[in-house]
Amino acid sequence: MFCDEALDAVEPIAAGELTPDGRIADHLATCPNCAAALDSAKRLEGMLRARPVPRPTAQFTARTIARVRRARWRTEQFLDVGFNVAMIAIVVAVVGGIWMLLHRSGLSVVSTDAMDLFSTGMMTMVRRVAPSLPLYGAATAVLATALVLWWWAERDAAL
Amino acid sequence: MHAVNERELVERCRSGDDGAFQELIDQYKDLVFALIARTVQDSSRAEDLAQEVFLRIHRGLPYFRGEARLSTWIYRIVANVCVQEQARPRAAAPSVSLDDERVSAHVTPSAADRQFGDLELRDRLEKAIARLPANYRLLIAAHYLDGVLYEDLADALQLPLGTVKTQLFRAKQQLRRLLETDLK
Repeated sequence: MFCDEALDAVEPIAAGELTPDGRIADHLATCPNCAAALDSAKRLEGMLRARPVPRPTAQFTARTIARVRRARWRTEQFLDVGFNVAMIAIVVAVVGGIWMLLHRSGLSVVSTDAMDLFSTGMMTMVRRVAPSLPLYGAATAVLATALVLWWWAERDAAL
Repeated sequence: MHAVNERELVERCRSGDDGAFQELIDQYKDLVFALIARTVQDSSRAEDLAQEVFLRIHRGLPYFRGEARLSTWIYRIVANVCVQEQARPRAAAPSVSLDDERVSAHVTPSAADRQFGDLELRDRLEKAIARLPANYRLLIAAHYLDGVLYEDLADALQLPLGTVKTQLFRAKQQLRRLLETDLK
């Protein structure tokens, strides 16, 4: 048996993962170098097992949760901004597209006439409805009061 | 941790339950912190890096398929964070002199150490470990923590079981050589 073979087995033997068989045991008993290596490996094994285990501080969990929340908030902000920018871009693209379409097809003139017609109609409607506005306002107030009373009664019943 | 409880905890975390994530941190913080503090040379970075691990866990939980155990997945994240930390450019080279008094200062002596006169040897052991390559340091750090099995390390590092054992033995050989030559 060569020393190399025995030295390869020194670490597993010291760790208790290999039981030296007859040949290795004989060699370790007769070779002072390999016996010293085993002794040194056993000492190292003991020292590694006795190494102190570092512990986190008592505030570790709270600090980590705070960091996770900060990171999540930042991600949400980023997503919100991205969503808003995307929505604005879509609206601009749609409006621009419609305008381009109307302009190219010559329908923009027709659409101006349509806008004039629409605004005239709205003005006429407002003029007709204006005298009855107090009546509509009162009816809305009565309805709102009734709804509030109903909500209040329901809430008391639930309690 | 039982597989059913683990799955349940993961599901609760996924549904946005902050309490469940706090439970997960409490469950694994000692292990994660110990692994990182033993592996990175800059001990002041340990807490920051351990938090980074949990941040990655939080981000990654929606994609965790449960094929591996949660602990294995966490070890993998720890290994990645340690490797990235190692690759991070530093102002000064991370060489550690074996006679550097500043390094020996952070080892707190215990009564038992004084009793057996082991303090100097332990200090030299820490310095020798600091000289090992990062993957060897991680193996040494993890193997000597309670509850970490060879199988966990093999899964986490995506290496065959035999390779993990061989690397660990080589790490210890290198450590022994350092202690016997440079440290004498």
